[in-house]
Amino acid sequence: MAARHLVIGGGTAGMNAIRTIREEESERSSITLVSAERPYSRMVLPYYLDRSIAESHVFTATGKVLADWGVTAHLGKRVTALDTSASACTLDDGTTIPYDDCLIATGSSAVRAPVPGADGRGVHSFWTLDEARGVIAQIQPGSHVVMVGAGFIAFTILNSILSLGAKLTIVEIAPRILPRMIDDTGAALVQAWLKEHGVAVRTGAKVARIEDVKGRRRLKFAAGGDLVCDVVIMATGIKTNLEWLKGSPVKVNQGIVVDEYLRSSVPNVYAAGDVAEGRDLISQKAAVHAIEPTAQEHGRIVGANMAGKNVRYRGSLIINIVEVCHLDVASFGAWDDTGAEAASSVKADRPAYRKLLWRGDRLTGAIILGRSSDIWTVNDVGMLKGLVQSGVSLGRWKAYLKKNPFDVKPAFIAAKTTSTLLPETVLGRPSKAPGETPVAV
Amino acid sequence: MSVLKLHPEKCTGCLRCELACSYMQTGEYQPAKSVIRVSPFEGHTSYAPYTCPQCAEGWCMTACPVGAITINAVGAKDVLDDKCVGCKLCTIACPYGTMFYDPATRKAFKCNLCGGAPACAEACPTAAITYEDVATADWLGDFAVERTARVLAEAR
Amino acid sequence: MTPATSTAPAKPTTKSAATARPGGYAGNLLRVDLTRRTCRAEPWSPETMRELIGGVGLGAMILYRETATRDGKGNVSWDHPDNRLVLATGPLAGLPVWGTGGLTVCTIGAGTNGPTSTQANGFFGTNLKYCGYDAIIVQGQSKDWLYLYINDDVVELRDARSLVGLDTWETQGALYKETGLAGHQLSVYSIGPAGENLVRFAAIQGDYGHVASKNGCGAVMGKKRLKAVAIVKGTKSLRAADPRGVVQAADEIAHDLRTDASARSLYEYGTLPGVVNLSKMGALPIKNYTTNLTSNVAGADLSVWEAPKLRENFDHRGHQCNACGMHHCHMSVIRHGDQKGKIVDEPEYEGWSGCGWAIGAADRDSVAWLNTECDRACVDVNEWGWLCGWVMECQEKGYITREQLGFELKWGDVKGAHRLLQMVSRREGFGNVLAEGVKRAAEKLGGPAKECAIYIEKGATPRGHDHRSRWEEMLDTCTSSTATMETGNPVHPTEIGQPARINPFDGEQVAKYVAGLRGRRSFEDSLGICIFTSRTRLEHVCRALSAATGWAFTVDEALRFGKRTAVINRATALRCGHTGAMEYPSTRYGSTPVDGPAKGQAIRAQWEKMLDTWYSEVGFDRKTGKPLPKTLKDLGLDWLSKSLWGNKA
Ligand SMILES: Cc1cc2nc3c(=O)[nH]c(=O)nc-3n(C[C@H](O)[C@H](O)[C@H](O)COP(=O)(O)OP(=O)(O)OC[C@H]3O[C@@H](n4cnc5c(N)ncnc54)[C@H](O)[C@@H]3O)c2cc1C
Ligand code: SF4
Ligand code: SF4
Ligand code: SF4
Repeated sequence: MAARHLVIGGGTAGMNAIRTIREEESERSSITLVSAERPYSRMVLPYYLDRSIAESHVFTATGKVLADWGVTAHLGKRVTALDTSASACTLDDGTTIPYDDCLIATGSSAVRAPVPGADGRGVHSFWTLDEARGVIAQIQPGSHVVMVGAGFIAFTILNSILSLGAKLTIVEIAPRILPRMIDDTGAALVQAWLKEHGVAVRTGAKVARIEDVKGRRRLKFAAGGDLVCDVVIMATGIKTNLEWLKGSPVKVNQGIVVDEYLRSSVPNVYAAGDVAEGRDLISQKAAVHAIEPTAQEHGRIVGANMAGKNVRYRGSLIINIVEVCHLDVASFGAWDDTGAEAASSVKADRPAYRKLLWRGDRLTGAIILGRSSDIWTVNDVGMLKGLVQSGVSLGRWKAYLKKNPFDVKPAFIAAKTTSTLLPETVLGRPSKAPGETPVAV
Repeated sequence: MSVLKLHPEKCTGCLRCELACSYMQTGEYQPAKSVIRVSPFEGHTSYAPYTCPQCAEGWCMTACPVGAITINAVGAKDVLDDKCVGCKLCTIACPYGTMFYDPATRKAFKCNLCGGAPACAEACPTAAITYEDVATADWLGDFAVERTARVLAEAR
Repeated sequence: MTPATSTAPAKPTTKSAATARPGGYAGNLLRVDLTRRTCRAEPWSPETMRELIGGVGLGAMILYRETATRDGKGNVSWDHPDNRLVLATGPLAGLPVWGTGGLTVCTIGAGTNGPTSTQANGFFGTNLKYCGYDAIIVQGQSKDWLYLYINDDVVELRDARSLVGLDTWETQGALYKETGLAGHQLSVYSIGPAGENLVRFAAIQGDYGHVASKNGCGAVMGKKRLKAVAIVKGTKSLRAADPRGVVQAADEIAHDLRTDASARSLYEYGTLPGVVNLSKMGALPIKNYTTNLTSNVAGADLSVWEAPKLRENFDHRGHQCNACGMHHCHMSVIRHGDQKGKIVDEPEYEGWSGCGWAIGAADRDSVAWLNTECDRACVDVNEWGWLCGWVMECQEKGYITREQLGFELKWGDVKGAHRLLQMVSRREGFGNVLAEGVKRAAEKLGGPAKECAIYIEKGATPRGHDHRSRWEEMLDTCTSSTATMETGNPVHPTEIGQPARINPFDGEQVAKYVAGLRGRRSFEDSLGICIFTSRTRLEHVCRALSAATGWAFTVDEALRFGKRTAVINRATALRCGHTGAMEYPSTRYGSTPVDGPAKGQAIRAQWEKMLDTWYSEVGFDRKTGKPLPKTLKDLGLDWLSKSLWGNKA
């Protein structure tokens, strides 16, 4: 069994892997972590932005915890090269670290639209803790913030910006918002809702340049119509952090190509999280999800395998939820599968929306949208996930759900989804609580 | 470990468990803040309570980005309020639909087995909810199949 | 537009909330004006809550204050836009005391054209209070059919044209679909065709099987063109002043209901045991009061009517109201016969009598089916029994011909009765005459037909018993100001100073007893609790109320409160022209049983004497029917003296 583990990247996937190694291993191994940043959870940054939590709350492991877990940590250091034949990596300070096996979990970073002025003063990304600090310092009550990009990440920070008392305008080059999270109908409802809540949305708007005018930002658009504001946030996309891997034999497609044990093309190199092209549970095809739960599952599976277990990876489900001014929007699985059979129902005045998608008689995707005060009065959000995840055969419930997409509960229960789900675990055993990671003695 | 065993055939849909649960968890009577929810079957003739089975995976717990869900002394997955940031990830990770979110407190909440003295079981006038040292199971499946046959026939 | 009589007390909607809101209350009244299509929340003050509690206490005051004619002398009639339809709950609704989904409907009813207080349960009160309201006051009249939708702060009058013509169950189903909700997430109280067509005894039905049945409150709703009230289980919290105390009181009540000899059968089987028990006393109404022998009903075998057998005849499933542990309400699936497979609401005793024994029918499956058909059409099963039984008797005797009716209707013919139900609820053919209710139809026909009809001179009809062997209820029903019983016998009469037993055929004792029980019912109907789950010691109920609200409410205060409420209703009834001269049973209702256990017991012979006694016991003036000034003073209702007695007071 491998005695020296190297984990590159201390984000979600990396930290889950480390914990799982410690939970699973029979003999104490050595773990080295190299991470460009201290371990923290990116998806918690919006709550730091709106100041509902302190900065310290975002960290997933402190130095003390890492020490307790017996991890040799190189924090603030980057890996610059991987020598798979020597089984060793090189850091930006020149250090070389040999390993028996290694995990690549370097995540992704934000990319800005290639617009003149995009790298100027007052133009920010919001992906890392450093970037978050930069934005926090800039937004005051009454500030005008322009968000370029209307994707999922933009929406995760939208509420925070509003709750800071800022005025918000969203600018999107595509004809609609949230293109990778919900369909057109849902997007239209969200857009109307935003308008009602005082958020201006410009879709189909291409930013031509961003200028600095007397300490403020002016956005010029290809089609005319300038916007002057205080802060610009670019949420225009992300890319995997894999440049440093160039030249290594580790095969990279959209992300690192992995097998069903999340091993890369080099057998003692694993990949997890945003950088891994793991399996999608519904399509069973390789895909980069770039979401938190997938990074967690990847990390845990890899951790178990590095600890000598042979845990196969079934694939992960895409699940997303955002809250937009007390409107909850969630989607699961293959909600955008044009080849699927679909049924939907809109209650525009509430607003509320459901879309369910089938392949055969199993639910393969779903969209649910409703007021936060409504949506949590039923169990539907999770049940839709359960139906998609378990893939239970719905039989005649399919016809029922097509007619009654708002009445999910009886279908979920009567299809005995619970029976199918109860034996399911990611690692083949009950999970341990976060605080139960064995510490070094 | 003891779990909530549900006996759907005894449930009359009175929702007293919901009241008790919300009171125990929040100090107020408000079923929307209960984590046990009674659902109707066969239109409106049959009811059954439904709550977290304390599943082995604990999808909610492993999904939480800040480790705000733990396992309490009686083996229930439990949300630590001061850690929860309200991101709702657990609510979409739990495939049973038994993680909830309270817009008022901006925290997730779930069944914590009341630390070993379940208020719902105590409140149920027909003993449709009992707290027993048995393995968790799909208590409602068979009942639901029987009590939805008519609805299904109509849906065709 | 709200004509307040000069002497009425301050609006029950003062804004001052200087004192903290008592526990158990949501804090707002919801005022819905159908003419103007407005809905607005009116906070009500802690002082008013203490004074009126809720339910009929609140409803009676609103009727008194708001339904006088503009000149202040008379009262608006039931079909006037200024009539109010008060849908009130109470401070216990939504709390974990058994049976607390309570709805009390107060309105000027179509049956007597006078005040009404009629109850139902289910989840109306629960859902309403979680939305933040203690009561809904509906006024005005709409031109188009609307339904009221309540979801927390979202209160809307919505287009109901697509619901018109649907029965009450279909309406609830359609609203489930429209809102995407199911089960108790949405409480719906609605009217069916009978309400839409202003049948004088149309009821308001809700949550599959709960009926506010009395005095044509469904016709009032129909006149206002309000098809339904749909309430989402809101998300506002209720607090109790002493939550542990509420649970303790609830436990004590539950213990009483489970163990007390007189409540236990109710706990086990609801009102089902009524059939056999009442038949033993001669109080089961059979074939329109023509007999008291069950053997006179073709095919009747009383042994299968024992409660357990009655229930087990069906595939039965508990269907309780909020927080209720009784084995009372059930849904049943019919196992045999023509209606096999149909889902029905397990009939209450009154359903078994009104859709069964009163019309000479004893096939349990078809009676249960007809009972639910009445609920779905929104027809009061009690008056239905008297009406249908009367038509059957009149046909048998030739007072109503086949040509008149359009078909032949014989005793026990449930299918025919169903046909009649459709005619009545749609006012088709002779059904149009019958839709006016027993009294008006009988008066229209006159002659010997009128002599066979069961009603009270005020225009109401009794509950489904043979009151010729239950004199206290006949007296109560006739003297009541709310078109149905106003007192009702408690399980523990001694707790409120009444004898445990009386001679049921001694008019004097009966009248004293009825007068002595006054107050209790009106108090209970103000709390938002079910009439059956309050069949315990009044002391426990008071304890629950005190724990919920934080008041120290005693049994004495409860009775005084109830009496005060009954007097306010009487003041409104007097303004509606209900004089003492109307406090009589019809010929048949007050007749003497010809057979059975009460054979020969003649109530009419003692009636005047009973009224004399009752009047002097309750402190009302026998001649005018008015509460005497002293009575008013004792109850703290001096303000009423002036309008009732003018300057003489
Ligand atoms: C604002 C925001 C909100 C989000 N909200 C959600 C949400 O609601 N739901 C959801 O599912 N997902 C959300 N995400 C996405 C989610 O955070 C990521 O999918 C997840 O963090 C991926 O985990 P990971 O471990 O693959 O990478 P990361 O968490 O990004 O961790 C990568 C780590 O590797 C380090 N690293 C990078 N390059 C090197 C190098 N060369 N050498 C050493 N270390 C390196 C980084 O510093 C970092 O510590 C959000 C992201 C952001 C930014
Ligand atoms: S809502 Fe709270 S408990 Fe749930 S995942 Fe987010 S932080 Fe954790
Ligand atoms: S809330 Fe859901 S995921 Fe969490 S323990 Fe319960 S069933 Fe499992
Ligand atoms: S055990 Fe407690 S928390 Fe869980 S459902 Fe019952 S009352 Fe609610």
